[in-house]
Amino acid sequence: MRFDYDAGSGCFAMTGEFTFADHPIFQGVLTQIGDGRDRSIVFDVSGLSFIDSAGLGMLILAREEARKLGSTIRLRGPRGQVKRILAVTKFDALFPVEA
Amino acid sequence: MSCTVARQRCGARSGCDMFWFRKKNDAPPPEPMLPATAAPAALSPPPVEAPSAPQVDLLRQWMSLAELQQRVIHTLAAEVAHTSAFVETEADSLSQRFRALADGAQEQTDRVDTLTSLAVGIDVDGKVVTVDEIARLLEDTLDDVVAKILLLSKESMSMVYALDALNGNVRRVEACLEQIDTINRVTQMVAINARIEAERAGQAGATFRVVADEMNQLSKSIRSVAMSMRDELMAICGSIERGHVTLKQVATVDMSSNIMVRERLDTLLPALVRRNDDIRSVIAEAAGGAGSISADVSGMITGIQFQDRTKQRLEHVVDTLNVVCEAFRDVMGSTRAAAPELAAAREPDVTWVKNLLSRFTMSEMRERFVAHVLDGEPVEWPEDSGTAEADDGGSMELF
Repeated sequence: MRFDYDAGSGCFAMTGEFTFADHPIFQGVLTQIGDGRDRSIVFDVSGLSFIDSAGLGMLILAREEARKLGSTIRLRGPRGQVKRILAVTKFDALFPVEA
Repeated sequence: MSCTVARQRCGARSGCDMFWFRKKNDAPPPEPMLPATAAPAALSPPPVEAPSAPQVDLLRQWMSLAELQQRVIHTLAAEVAHTSAFVETEADSLSQRFRALADGAQEQTDRVDTLTSLAVGIDVDGKVVTVDEIARLLEDTLDDVVAKILLLSKESMSMVYALDALNGNVRRVEACLEQIDTINRVTQMVAINARIEAERAGQAGATFRVVADEMNQLSKSIRSVAMSMRDELMAICGSIERGHVTLKQVATVDMSSNIMVRERLDTLLPALVRRNDDIRSVIAEAAGGAGSISADVSGMITGIQFQDRTKQRLEHVVDTLNVVCEAFRDVMGSTRAAAPELAAAREPDVTWVKNLLSRFTMSEMRERFVAHVLDGEPVEWPEDSGTAEADDGGSMELF
């Protein structure tokens, strides 16, 4: 998976498949969130084709990290398997999900 | 009610039979009613002029026709009586069958009622759990499972990051031990140099010699502690590494497919509930239909029981025909007594009879008419005549 961070909008664009193997690179995202510079963070998941349960766990960790600092995370543009699994797990109760 | 057709031969009167309906233990039929004009006393006219030949021939023709009419009426009365008995027997049989049908319909209604209660839900320990409740229970359970999978995934990843952080700490401790080793090597070098200088100073360097020895001992102690710390640290590293591997195995178990089962069940459970509702609806319709059939069959049984009134009407018809037949016979007898020359009646008008019989479409009825009307034989039916059933394998002539 690839992360592209836009400092201006506080948007992380995610591309590819988000699995356990991506946890080292996601550590950088957590660090970035922990800096507290972005109050409104967006995970653009429209480029994600697959997410596993470890990926869901990392998203929840990011949410908790942001909440410690009073920041919010929104998910944008889920589709395919990602959209279905977010619906089944009722992620919309944890994150605002934008179409 | 059973009924038989009884036959009575009318003695000397023209060799014909009287037919009437008789129930068991019924009294014999009433005496036929005769017209007042048939009394022999009325046929004692004053002497009149002898009839002409054409008049005699015409009178004989009337006598012949009266004879035929008498036989025809007699045969018709027998047919009506026999048919009425047949209808009554069949009505009894039909009534019994409809009663059996009504019993079967009632049993079917009871079974449908049982099916209705079964369709509502499942009996668990004496309590009915509806399909809706089962679906809700499954949904709640699956929601709980999904929530726990998410919690497990989050905690696993949290632990992975904690172990990563611990691993970093251990690496930094290792770096510290490297620095301690370096410092220790310098300290040891200093101790050696101090000992050399102490030996070179002779007696004056005795104090330096003691310090140098203590520094040397201290360096050895530090090196020993450092080696112990390194051994412990290596053990910790090994444990962290094994824990990381184990955690990775747990965290990489992808449970997204299990989560997606929830999506599948989200489709299946409402479909299951809908199907159960459909089944209940169909069963309710079936119950209504079964009840309607029971009511219809009961109505049919009641309708069949009105056959008694039909039988009574036919009794009147037969009785009337017998009276008419008897009147013909008496008038003919009176005529013969008054005009013996007419006793030699004309031959029956066979052509007229054949034309009449050609209107009959049932051969066995036609045969009875031929036997009785033309041949003067008594009316007879085979033992199973009129009561043979089509489903017994016998053929039935309809038209």
